[in-house]
Amino acid sequence: MNRVRAVKMILWMITGFAAAVGITRFIYGLGATTNLSDSTPWGLWIGFDIFSGVALAAGGFVITAIVYIMKREEFRPIVKPAVLTAFLGYVAVIISLLFDLGLPWNIWHMLVFWNPHSPLFEVGWCVMLYTTVLLLEFSPVPLENYSRYAKIRNFLMRFRFPLVLLGIMLSTLHQSSLGSLILIMPYKSFPLWYSGILPIQFFISAVALGLMMVTLESLFSGFLYKRHAETVLLSKLANAAVWVLTLYFIVKMTDIAVSGKLPLIFNGSWESFLFITEIFVSILIPIGIFSVARFRMSIRGLWFGSICVVVGMVLNRINVSGLSMLRGGGDSYFPSWMEISISAGVVSAAILVFLFAIEKFHVWEKPPRYPESEPSSRPQFDIPSQVWLGNPLESGRTRYSLAFLMSFALAFALIPGVDIHSKGAEIVTAEPARGGDSLFIDGNRDLYGVSFNHQKHISENGQKESCVICHHMNRPMEKESPCYRCHKLMYQPADAFEHEWHYNSKGGNIRCYQCHTPGLEKTALSAKKCDQCHNGLFPTGSRIIAKQYMAPSYVDAMHGLCVNCHRQKALTDDSKKDLARCGKCHESVPPDYMKPDAPGMNKRPYFNRVLMPGEEKVLKVVD
Amino acid sequence: MQILLEFAQGPLFRLAFGIMAIGLLRIFILDIWGAVEAYRRAGDKNIPWAKTVKKSLGWLFPIKRAFGSRPFYSLISILFHIGLILVPIFLFAHVNLWEKGAGLSWVTLPKTWADYLTLSTVLFGLALFFGRVSVKAASYISRKQDYFWPLILIIPFVTGYLCANVGISSSGYQFFMLAHVLSAEIIFVLIPFTKIAHCVIMPLSQFVVALAWKFPPDTDEPISISLDKKGIPI
Repeated sequence: MNRVRAVKMILWMITGFAAAVGITRFIYGLGATTNLSDSTPWGLWIGFDIFSGVALAAGGFVITAIVYIMKREEFRPIVKPAVLTAFLGYVAVIISLLFDLGLPWNIWHMLVFWNPHSPLFEVGWCVMLYTTVLLLEFSPVPLENYSRYAKIRNFLMRFRFPLVLLGIMLSTLHQSSLGSLILIMPYKSFPLWYSGILPIQFFISAVALGLMMVTLESLFSGFLYKRHAETVLLSKLANAAVWVLTLYFIVKMTDIAVSGKLPLIFNGSWESFLFITEIFVSILIPIGIFSVARFRMSIRGLWFGSICVVVGMVLNRINVSGLSMLRGGGDSYFPSWMEISISAGVVSAAILVFLFAIEKFHVWEKPPRYPESEPSSRPQFDIPSQVWLGNPLESGRTRYSLAFLMSFALAFALIPGVDIHSKGAEIVTAEPARGGDSLFIDGNRDLYGVSFNHQKHISENGQKESCVICHHMNRPMEKESPCYRCHKLMYQPADAFEHEWHYNSKGGNIRCYQCHTPGLEKTALSAKKCDQCHNGLFPTGSRIIAKQYMAPSYVDAMHGLCVNCHRQKALTDDSKKDLARCGKCHESVPPDYMKPDAPGMNKRPYFNRVLMPGEEKVLKVVD
Repeated sequence: MQILLEFAQGPLFRLAFGIMAIGLLRIFILDIWGAVEAYRRAGDKNIPWAKTVKKSLGWLFPIKRAFGSRPFYSLISILFHIGLILVPIFLFAHVNLWEKGAGLSWVTLPKTWADYLTLSTVLFGLALFFGRVSVKAASYISRKQDYFWPLILIIPFVTGYLCANVGISSSGYQFFMLAHVLSAEIIFVLIPFTKIAHCVIMPLSQFVVALAWKFPPDTDEPISISLDKKGIPI
């Protein structure tokens, strides 16, 4: 097996693995597949796929600028691969974004509902436009193979220069606006990475990274197809990278020094360790290597230096977009294996498309030998008939699709079966309402609830007969069961029937056939109804008949009951128009007997409210 | 045993099912791909589309073609297929598992029907095996897998029947369930790589033949005459 085939095989496997995980992500959602949370909503996909992906695709605009604007014609052979890398990089960014967005089908909203004040709006539009421009820039290459599209190709070629200009402009805009995105969180990001000139830093580092990404891509594809590396050309890029990296280093360190953050670098914290690693890997080591002409001209030196810059800059983007914020927020986040595999899968798929384009189209001046034309075993004669069987070529698609299939099935097997559901809301049990004639309904005990005048509801709705309006069902051995007895959970439906209790010998100890009709499948349909055994389960004349064994969540039940009734009243009675508004029932201040300092109260902070800066300290006194 | 059963019903099942589902999709696509490639290379691009569609449909419901040389064997084969397809898909216990695991559900077979169909599948499977063994001519066109398949296909039916009727198998329930699950998984894994793949590529076979093997239209008559087999299905 030759190099290309082996690498393609591995890439197809990773893609297949990610495909199974990707399907799971879209069926079960982010909560089930990622380690992201409300406090850490940006994870690997944003840090690596989006922030680093955009930066890694910077090679496209850097090389086109060198060739078309600075008129350095000797770099023309690497324009096409650089543009292709940039295009695929951007497509990969967009696909990863679809994985990361909670509602990916709303991605078009940005086109219609404009919010021009948002940096994300600029980033989104730039990515979209630049991807289009890159597509138009690159499409003459595949169109070359089809003579019937010659007109389109000529048309595109005529607009090549304006397209290139537009591309450089757009990517300049949004390489930097990814930096502006961070400007809105000055207190969340760690001071070493936060800076007022973050957009400028992002742009300069993107130029350096673009140069090195083109180098790495050229070395990698040269290695795969056993092609002579353009060492002279690449060493010129490396030389340019030294200057850009030096500028980046000066700008970054000056900014840190001027704003008095220098001591933070050496205070020995986790962030200082990250920062020092990043500076060494992304700037100092590559500058050291590429400043020496002997290393710059050697393949090994180029490999090592370009990998350093790429890894270091990816680390930088991950740091800026989230890693440096983790400690400050007091959270711990490590990407789940599903997140990692999707990131790897998107990258692998992009590389596969890149290799496909290199093999099929005129990306390189001299196209590589088609790897599938190499026989996988020795040519032979058919033994009995001595007929020449031809070269034993195995179709690539047979092999690669098998690799895809096997790793897809493996990933499918690894996905936890029954347990795969979103962690969702924390389970909060509903607590009874407190008080007498006037109740305070506060199921989750956060001191924000509803003052409910029980006595008034009784007297206004017609004394004793009106109980059944709300008390629609009683637990066995109970009269007028309170709501929380069945609606046990605050935000999730709860099992009101408890099948296990019924058949368990420690509970009801009832045999299957006593409820389920023998001979039929044992389902709810073939079972006795509750009131066939329990007397008084439904009070006579109750308005709501429980039809299911699951009781809706406490919140849903309360809202359903109160709001529906109030809404009808508000419609019929003009003087009670406000009856169905939230504020009518939800009062911000709990009654005196519910105050946190009242004797016997469990003292909890007001965790339902948005905290203002400085307020945490006041609240901590409460417990 | 319990842990083994859970492993077989969880990860191992998903592995086998994934291999089957994507594997069938894979050969379906590869088949179409190959046919399209053949069509692209073909000098004569006149394909009898209407006739090929008709032929494919004819083979999907082989009422007319099947009763040629061995009508009894064909009948058994058709009856075998009915139970083989209906029971695993529409059995209540299976649909119930789908509903629990993936939230999908569909119509189910009544239990008595399912039981009879299971038993009939086992019987007809055995009959197919003996039909193949007993006729000498059949051995000339039989591969190893042709003998092997009817036998392995009835294992999950036998064990499944024992599990569904706990009265027979109350002591060995877990063992039979494990055998049921494992044998079904072996079948799942083998399906896309053996002749059972005809469950998805059968409708394509006529197209592949029509595209790749370029006989001019309406030549089957003269060919059968020249082979001295006029009127006999080949």
